[in-house]
Amino acid sequence: MKKRILVADDEKNLRLLYQTELEQEGYHVTVASDAQEVLEILKTAQFDLIILDILMPGMNGIELMEKLLAKDRRQKVILNTAYSVYKDNFMTWAADAYVVKSADLTELKTRVREVLTGQQAE
Amino acid sequence: MHTLTLLMAGGRGERLYPLTKEKAKPAVTFGGIYRIIDFTLSNCLNSGIRQIYLLTQYSSISLDRHIRSGWSMVFRHELDEFIESVPPQHRTAEGWYLGNVDAIYQNINILERHKPECVLLLSGDHIYKMNYHEMIAFHEKCGAEVTVAAVELDKESAKQMGVMNVEADGRVRDFLEKVSDPPTIPDDPTKCLVSMGVYVFNTARLVREAIRDSKQKDSIHDFGRNILPYLIARKEKVFAHIFKDENKKTYKYWRDIGTTDSYYDANMDLVSVEPLFNLYDTEWPIRTYYGQYPPAKTVFAYEHEGRVGATYDSIVSPGCVISGGRVYRSILSPRVRVNSYSLVTDSILMEGVEIGRGARIHRAIICDGVAIPAGIQIGISPSDDATRFTVTNRGITVVPEGIMLEYSR
Repeated sequence: MKKRILVADDEKNLRLLYQTELEQEGYHVTVASDAQEVLEILKTAQFDLIILDILMPGMNGIELMEKLLAKDRRQKVILNTAYSVYKDNFMTWAADAYVVKSADLTELKTRVREVLTGQQAE
Repeated sequence: MHTLTLLMAGGRGERLYPLTKEKAKPAVTFGGIYRIIDFTLSNCLNSGIRQIYLLTQYSSISLDRHIRSGWSMVFRHELDEFIESVPPQHRTAEGWYLGNVDAIYQNINILERHKPECVLLLSGDHIYKMNYHEMIAFHEKCGAEVTVAAVELDKESAKQMGVMNVEADGRVRDFLEKVSDPPTIPDDPTKCLVSMGVYVFNTARLVREAIRDSKQKDSIHDFGRNILPYLIARKEKVFAHIFKDENKKTYKYWRDIGTTDSYYDANMDLVSVEPLFNLYDTEWPIRTYYGQYPPAKTVFAYEHEGRVGATYDSIVSPGCVISGGRVYRSILSPRVRVNSYSLVTDSILMEGVEIGRGARIHRAIICDGVAIPAGIQIGISPSDDATRFTVTNRGITVVPEGIMLEYSR
């Protein structure tokens, strides 16, 4: 059975890119454009992994992650952001991985694979 | 080192029930005018620790009020000093704290806001005098990730505690929580080195461990059970800081107020001629708060008819009136009234208790505000008491707050 991934990003082109590339990797991918949409989707669906942009209109990805972990401490989350500065924020350490966005999705795909197989480094 | 202090005051204190019926354990009265937490907070003040969060949870109203009335004003906000109560924020979890590690996990945002270099973790469950500043300096000098305060205790008591095996340089080799045959110290097979539940953590390490622990299915989220053994197994730099007592007696004083019996014993020590625990040292003052009451008073000295208001070998707080009754080896909190022909021995009477005429109280703890009717006997017949009250293993009767008693004989 395909692993299910939810990707939240406010940039439409990036959502399309992540969806296409991750589906090619063999995952079932759902996309959302902001935190509210993520919370709405999660009312009726569950995911093996949720990939969150940090800077989004409204609730940011870190706050959203807190809400997701409050519901399920073991929910797998990857923070995927253009900024490395948030790495110093202790809350981001609760994510299973922190990926700095790049046009090349190799690192993201590697982290997704590691997180889904439970092999990520501590 | 920039240090933030988190005092974990969120336990239910079930083993102290019914003393904890109406208040959290750190707020339970001790020694007449103090609360258990006052000893830890006095240590903070006397060590120059001035940024403190109390992580509260159950029955925190009495504790919050005590902190507000007695402690808030000695910390100056304009100097970035504070003492603040923090109930669960439900940010990263929806439920109550699952353990002391979980209390940290649920409050990572506090650490994020202050970004201290290290965190001093305390609990409000112990009576002792300790300079935390020295422990933090030791932590820094050792280059430790975690430092655990350690005290020598007899092997029998140590079976209920976290026990450490320590190298000559202070590095912890093993940490064993509540084991039947704990390791003893090298030069004395009757003593063990026990964790005092006081920790200094490098902040980054604390955050990482709290997060790691939050995702563990089989964890009970306890520093002694889950975090320290894990770090030691991974050869992380965990050091033991041997307790240096500021109590200035030959014997090191540290008491875990774990049970009603240990609570009773620690209180009763204070009425001995030379108590082990010194409340009178002006260099290590113990601070508290209680209301403005008139001085304690004894009235009636009609010895010919046995109506004598007198106290012997006892602590008597302001506001008490010993009105024709006699009190031996007991601790009276503020506003206690002991009426004529009554006799109180080896007991703890909390604030506002009234002992009725001719009543007889022995080896009992009477909680706040209880009115003992005239003629009643408590602590004389344990089997009678057991039908109405809690009686401890060692036969101490506890009369809980809120109970209404009537004379029934």
